[in-house]
Amino acid sequence: MFPSQNENLQIMSHAVIGFPGLEENEKAIAGLADAGVRLIELQVPFSDPVADGHTLVNACYEALKHGGSVRATLDLAQRVCKNHPEVTFVLMSYLNPLYRYGLEKLFEAAAAAGIQGMIVPDWPVEEIEPWLPKLDELGLAPILMVTPNTALQRVARIARASRGMIYVVSRMGVTGHETQWGEKFQRYIAEIRKHSDLPLAVGFGVRTIDDLSALQGKAEVAAFCSQYIEWQRDDGSEVAAKRMKSLIKSMGAN
Amino acid sequence: MIRSDNGYFGEFGGRFVPEILLPALTELEDLFFGLRDDPEFWQEYLTLTQEFSGRPTPLTPLRRLSKKLGGAQIWLKREDLNHSGAHKVNNVLGQGLLVQRMGKQRVIAETGAGQHGLATAIMAARLGLDATIYMGAEDIERQYSNVFWMRQLGSSVVGVTTGAQTLKEALDEALRDWAASVETTHYVLGTACGPAPFPELVSYFQSVISDEIKQQSMQQMGRLPDEIVACVGGGSNAMGAFGAFLENPEVTLVGVEAGGISLEDGQHSIRLSQDTGETGIAQGYKTLFLQNDDGQLGDTHSIAAGLDYVGVSPILAYLSQQGRVIPDSATDDEVTEAFSLLMKTEGIIPALESSHGLAGGFKRARQMKPEQNLVINLSGRGDKDIFTVARAFPQPEWTGFLQREAQRSSEILKQKGAH
Ligand SMILES: Cc1ncc(COP(=O)(O)O)c(C=O)c1O
Repeated sequence: MFPSQNENLQIMSHAVIGFPGLEENEKAIAGLADAGVRLIELQVPFSDPVADGHTLVNACYEALKHGGSVRATLDLAQRVCKNHPEVTFVLMSYLNPLYRYGLEKLFEAAAAAGIQGMIVPDWPVEEIEPWLPKLDELGLAPILMVTPNTALQRVARIARASRGMIYVVSRMGVTGHETQWGEKFQRYIAEIRKHSDLPLAVGFGVRTIDDLSALQGKAEVAAFCSQYIEWQRDDGSEVAAKRMKSLIKSMGAN
Repeated sequence: MIRSDNGYFGEFGGRFVPEILLPALTELEDLFFGLRDDPEFWQEYLTLTQEFSGRPTPLTPLRRLSKKLGGAQIWLKREDLNHSGAHKVNNVLGQGLLVQRMGKQRVIAETGAGQHGLATAIMAARLGLDATIYMGAEDIERQYSNVFWMRQLGSSVVGVTTGAQTLKEALDEALRDWAASVETTHYVLGTACGPAPFPELVSYFQSVISDEIKQQSMQQMGRLPDEIVACVGGGSNAMGAFGAFLENPEVTLVGVEAGGISLEDGQHSIRLSQDTGETGIAQGYKTLFLQNDDGQLGDTHSIAAGLDYVGVSPILAYLSQQGRVIPDSATDDEVTEAFSLLMKTEGIIPALESSHGLAGGFKRARQMKPEQNLVINLSGRGDKDIFTVARAFPQPEWTGFLQREAQRSSEILKQKGAH
């Protein structure tokens, strides 16, 4: 289930399938679920992840060496969706691995595995629109991205094609760097709200409790990804899950 | 010149980029579509290439070599005589005119052989723009002389250390930079690849090559050539050499890709032939990519850094699917042989990229009749390849010289550091 509009901010976290390893992914996801995370992106690693910064780029390269692939992601999805029914799983991938698998076949397999949404950064709205009937039939929500430089008319078009949530890219650039949450950002959010009742997931640059506090009341979902992957990389999945748990606790205290 | 159908050439092309890059691409497309049919704009471009780069470049008959091979008359289109030493500058000068119209103050570029990076650095210096050039760390080692000159010209050259550290990774990194800087920065894409409108736009500027070949062959041969051969990296010099001849079906067009060491995965860069490239969508566009069953882009190899690339122009993918362009390939060994043959027989030092065109062209010329004409696009000169060629033909005095030079420059560094 995706949150509804105006619900309290919640965290969406991340797994790069194959990073640090396929078995570790399963444990890490269990740790996130236990920490209280209710939205998790399962990222298919890709050789050329152009929308990602260095943390996720390197995680992708590692993941590919350790068996990460579309098939491995679908396999894992089947298990984690069953084991953690309280969590909503979203497939995140660049287009080519999905295209190569066969888009229609992939959508069916993802839905059958229990995946509820899909984020594909290099798949523009024009190319998604023809697939909407099929995706709606399967209950697989395309979560499209809006960026600070997207023209208003296009925001409307993207909002019409989005299901589940809209992914709001917080700033120019790639994943992994800091973001400012000032007035300009708030105007940007308000503009998107005019075009959609869907909950907003804010991503790119959500790295600290301060970021999360700043987003409370402004968005429904904060994508906490690169920082989590860095924790996982540097201190292991268990420690990363503990940090996530205390982060979620202090969010509740706010 | 070929036109896209809404960014597509048959099933290839398109614009598959993160949303953040879209406004810049549509802005560029609107500007380009508004200018491309304007004869005054084309004249402005031609004047610039003439004043700054010495166009038109000659069409040189290879009399001795043609006789030696005993087949067709071979002609070279001398893109090596451009300022900066390769055809890359044609596209860069054209995009420079667009940058001035957009009013952007910074440019970025990806580069493999360093020729496109060098041309971009030259344009940036001339127009007073900031330039950042992305180049695979492996290619920096292979083409250091170009890196040296780019930096002397005032550009910053960033080594890319992800993946195989060649052109594909440099292009990824340029796209990442652009995502952050797109409002003030123009991405000078260096070949006929990437998201629309780049394949069409780059081919448009490069078509000056085939316009000239057409005129020159009428003057010098009295008719159109029978065949035109060009090497294919991303496909810009090939599209440049073929463009004006697409309307002349009697002229055979041949694109020569890098056969590398062998046909094994990772040892070549052949994308257009059957059994190698597969349709995919990456780096902003749909084309034939070398990739595995999971859709991961593959590693490539070529002795020529400029051909060591995983995708290919969607226009060439389409034209070869249609049978209009014939794909061929040449191995590293065939390439060094052709390189040497041209140098020793005609006194011209070709780039290793262009030597693929030579290897493919010489092979075909041998099978042709002396009254036939074959034009090879000599996309660049070989000065930049001095280190690679020295390795292909090892000589003790070269190694000795390098050791003495390394000694001298480290002494100079020490003295400067002491002050
Ligand atoms: C001299 C020369 N020829 C050919 C190429 C290949 O590029 P394209 O296929 O775009 O002409 C390069 C690329 O760096 C080059 O430097």
